[in-house]
Amino acid sequence: MAFREKIAWLALGTMLVAYTVYFTIVGPTAGFGEARMVDIIWSFGLVATAQAVAMIVGAIAIAVTATKEASASADERDRAIARRGATIGYYVLIVGMVIVGVVMPFSEAPWKIVNAALLAIVLAEVTHQAVVLLSYRRGWHG
Amino acid sequence: MAERRLTNTIRTLRFHASEMTQAELGERIGVTRQTVAATEQGKYSPTLETAFRIADVFHVGLEEVFRWSEDES
Repeated sequence: MAFREKIAWLALGTMLVAYTVYFTIVGPTAGFGEARMVDIIWSFGLVATAQAVAMIVGAIAIAVTATKEASASADERDRAIARRGATIGYYVLIVGMVIVGVVMPFSEAPWKIVNAALLAIVLAEVTHQAVVLLSYRRGWHG
Repeated sequence: MAERRLTNTIRTLRFHASEMTQAELGERIGVTRQTVAATEQGKYSPTLETAFRIADVFHVGLEEVFRWSEDES
């Protein structure tokens, strides 16, 4: 498996675990910031920090086992796959931002808007990594 | 309807070039071993520049490396 494919698996795995924990356990415990908006910062911040630490530790472990690949720069296929992932993830983000920034302000409370924005960002990034993985596994034909 | 698919002879050309490894070919054309493997398996269509570099390595024309095959689908 290619070094960048392993990194994509790591990113997808850590994100799915971390943000599932946020939206099902940590978020509800903090009331999703309904009572105090500042609760969103520490609860989401805690989960995001944990995910970042897991990502860094995992990336170091992968790089140690594949030193040569890790030091090599991305080639044309890696770049094409990364572009495809970013492009499709961008569309998901745009849809999320339209809902959050244009639709929700007319009917929803601020704490819901903030959490919906965070969800949109997470979904966009999950889509990005999923497309990258799919492209590595099933092929890329421009 | 017949669907055209790009196939290649890289595996055969490597065999005839003293069993050149995918890693070695990748190094000579500036891509990773995984990209060479994906190209051989038809999972990746390389850029025109890389296609020409592959042909150059084996001293053959582009059409001897890549060609269309017609599949009935």
